[in-house]
Amino acid sequence: MSSLDESSPTPSCEYQENLDILRQTYFFSGLPLESLKIFAYLCTREKFREGDFLFQQGEDDGDALCILSGSARLERTVEGATLPIRTVGAGEFVGGLTLIGQTRRLYSLRALQETTCLVLGRDKFAKTLDQFPEQRHRIFRAVVAAINDWEERFLEGMTEACGECASKLGVSLL
Amino acid sequence: MHRVDRPIVKRSLFSWVFDGNLRWQVLLLAIIAVAVFTRVLPLEMQKRIVNQAVSLRKVDLLLTYCAYYLAAVLLSSACKYLINVLETHIAQQSLARMRIALYDHIITLPLSFFRNTQPGTVVNAIANELAVPSNFVGSAVSTPVSNVLTLLAFAGFLLWLNPLLAVVSLSIYPAAMIVLPFLQRRANKANQQRVDLARTFAGRIAESIGGVHEIHGNGAYRIETGKFNRLVEQLRKVRVVWSLYRFAVKSTNNFFTSLGPFLVFILGGYMTIKGQLELGSLVAFLSAQEKLYDPWKELIEFYQVYQDGRVTYDRTMEFFDIEPDYPLAPTDRPAFDLEPRLEVKSLSFFTDGGIRLLDDINLHLEPGEHLALVGFSGSGKSTLALCIGQLNKYSNGSVLIGGQEVSQLTKQDLAANVGIVAQSPFIFEGSIAENLLYACDAVAGEDGRRPSLDDVIAVLHQTGLFVDVLRFGLNTMLTAEMHADLVKDIIRIRRKFQEKHGEKLADYVEFFDENAYLSHSSIAENLTFGAANRDDFTQAELSRNDYFLAFLEQSGLHRLLLRLGAQLTRQTVDILGNLPPEAVFFEQSPMNADELPDYKAVAEHLRRRRLDDLDQPDRHRLLTLGLRFTPGLHKMAALPAEMQRLLLAARASFRERVSRDRPGAFTFYSKNDYIFSQTILNNIFFGKAKTTTPQAQEVIAQNIIQVLIERDLLETIVDIGMHYNVGSKGEKLSGGQRQKLAIARVFLKSPRLLIMDEATSALDNTSQARIQNLLETRWKRKSTLVAVVHRLDTIRKFDRIAVMKAGKVVEMGSYDELIARKGALYELVGRK
Repeated sequence: MSSLDESSPTPSCEYQENLDILRQTYFFSGLPLESLKIFAYLCTREKFREGDFLFQQGEDDGDALCILSGSARLERTVEGATLPIRTVGAGEFVGGLTLIGQTRRLYSLRALQETTCLVLGRDKFAKTLDQFPEQRHRIFRAVVAAINDWEERFLEGMTEACGECASKLGVSLL
Repeated sequence: MHRVDRPIVKRSLFSWVFDGNLRWQVLLLAIIAVAVFTRVLPLEMQKRIVNQAVSLRKVDLLLTYCAYYLAAVLLSSACKYLINVLETHIAQQSLARMRIALYDHIITLPLSFFRNTQPGTVVNAIANELAVPSNFVGSAVSTPVSNVLTLLAFAGFLLWLNPLLAVVSLSIYPAAMIVLPFLQRRANKANQQRVDLARTFAGRIAESIGGVHEIHGNGAYRIETGKFNRLVEQLRKVRVVWSLYRFAVKSTNNFFTSLGPFLVFILGGYMTIKGQLELGSLVAFLSAQEKLYDPWKELIEFYQVYQDGRVTYDRTMEFFDIEPDYPLAPTDRPAFDLEPRLEVKSLSFFTDGGIRLLDDINLHLEPGEHLALVGFSGSGKSTLALCIGQLNKYSNGSVLIGGQEVSQLTKQDLAANVGIVAQSPFIFEGSIAENLLYACDAVAGEDGRRPSLDDVIAVLHQTGLFVDVLRFGLNTMLTAEMHADLVKDIIRIRRKFQEKHGEKLADYVEFFDENAYLSHSSIAENLTFGAANRDDFTQAELSRNDYFLAFLEQSGLHRLLLRLGAQLTRQTVDILGNLPPEAVFFEQSPMNADELPDYKAVAEHLRRRRLDDLDQPDRHRLLTLGLRFTPGLHKMAALPAEMQRLLLAARASFRERVSRDRPGAFTFYSKNDYIFSQTILNNIFFGKAKTTTPQAQEVIAQNIIQVLIERDLLETIVDIGMHYNVGSKGEKLSGGQRQKLAIARVFLKSPRLLIMDEATSALDNTSQARIQNLLETRWKRKSTLVAVVHRLDTIRKFDRIAVMKAGKVVEMGSYDELIARKGALYELVGRK
């Protein structure tokens, strides 16, 4: 009993950890604590076995994920052939746009090993944001900035090998 | 049900007074006549008691008149009560009829009306506003008749007693009718100023609170206090004026009321002294004078009720005074059985504001042909589909189904021949079965034929809803009385299931293990590790059960659980304290939405007092929360490993103790017994699922289905799942499940013309492919299909594809033709 008296420290709970993780995510970091707490509370942790799909190309699952441990491969299937795109590792946040609107996945994400993710669904996200309508613009601002940053980084790293694909640049102009 | 052909919006408020209430109103009038007589009779008795019984000292007369007096008073009270009962009955009956008539009218109004009307406005009109006019209807006859008759009877009685005294004492009422309304108008004006100022006042406070960081930042306390003080002063003055007028109305009224007896005393007293008036008449006069005021006051109040009722009624009816676009059912023929040939000619559609959304659309579909409408959002695909389905009233041109103009068809004709799956299908509160049969029941009517269970099961399979319904069935709790045989079957398959599938599911299921702490079960379940057989040992009652509380105290858990409850209370109130009671916010909380206000109070107490100083109800709430805590689900607190160890040790000692002291109180979890406090699925598992991810659910479903098929239990469980309540607006279903249910609902009706407006957008790949395949194999050549399609990889096998752009069909043909043409579809598909 001695270890459980009033002075013993309370072990850290998942909610607190979720809150810390979301505060480090571009999508949520600009939100005030009152709504962030609810998102942290509504997140769930899901474990995927090696080979499991975190999401699948063509589906609209509506989930945003933050990988807590393990890693997964982003891949795209075109006419039966699956092309690996890149590996998504611990700490990466995927699917912010999915939370905002209905979109079918253009890629699949498949666990390369046992992978644990923090998951937030679109329904929960939308219902929470309905309670804080004035915070929508913060989300939009964060997304717009992220798209711009992404293209800027892409342009900086772009090589001549890109060739014809250069004519399709300009996602930040959408 | 009483029905009047005239729509409610064309009816006057007075039409409700006698309609359907005639016999009650006549009865009311008869009772009123008796009531008026019983009010006047005591006055005459008063006179006779004084003049005859008292003056002549006759006890027998005194007793006789007193008996009459008492009888009249008793009868008057009974009449009053009966009048109230009848008034209430008439008011409530009229309210119910008004509600039904208005609801019937509103749901037939055109969709365009609802686009511009908030649901809250409709709810308020039906739920609240009609109550005011119905109150008037209840008292429309009784109040004026009863009070006018009473006034006349009293006045007549006074005139009969002494005409001069009657005229003098009645003269105060005309004077009062001049002075009082004048004062009342002034009071009303002051009240209006008070309301306006109070609104500004509230706005000012809200603004200051909202911008308090700015006030702090600038140290502008003095400025804000100054602004606030000025408003407070204005409000104070207005409130004083308002109060003065209110009191003036009251005092003047009292003055006039008291003036009556004064006049009677001075004039009547003089006349009595002079022998011109009997003493008994003077007493009767005084009584009648006092009683004159009540009917007069009631009449004035009634006038207010009438005004309120009339204004509310007229405003409500005016708001909904819109004609439905189409008749509901044909009057001179049965509903058409239409050949599903579709012809759209020169079709245009304009919004109410005159904006053209469809422009000169022409297309033709032979029976059984399938058409895909594609194009960017806003190109008019859905608008066109809704025009064909009579949900949009087209402005120009023609839409023919089986040669019949859609705008000339009744709603029943459409319902009998066309099935529509909307973009965001609406699922109503009720069971899966009720929702599945919704479209069939609407066409068949109350005594129509319903699809067989085999048809229903077939459609569940076709739409992929079968597994979902199975899951709902598996998540049901059985009762010993209703499912004795099924329970035996489930116990039989449990062991086999564990042997065959247990290992595969270990990642997804937490099996009940006597020696392990169960993270996905509550602390109470961990402690008792059994299902209660007595009401006082159920999970809900444990925190009140003295025996259990004593056990917690002795095992050193009581205080730990209180602390845990306090931690959960603080955290949950902090997170959810300002949220509405929606299921999504409380699913992961140990606190139910309706308990939140109580726990907010507890959290406030916890801020100010120590745990030991809390009162008993607060401690009970904390303990309840602590016992509900399920670490696998409730993430706002953590369970220390040491506490888990203590709880495990307590489990063993509780079992031993309760078996000895309260034998039979629990059925402890055992592989040989069915656990009635757990779902079917948990009973098969002999455990609980750890996760609800789609992948986990699929693995679980595959394994469970196999076992259920072997035991021929699959349909039994699906049948149970069909009774699952989907919640308000189907909130307990996922987006995909709602879409599948909407598709199944229409497939079950098997319409000859099917309209699907992005009907599969929320489905996973497998379900989408299944529906697509079904349309191509079972529905082609059988039913005509118009599908609004967003996903272009699903349109290859449609007979025709119409590409829409800015309200026009820019090209139409088969997939191969259009791709070969390298036009708009080619561009859309992105094959440049």
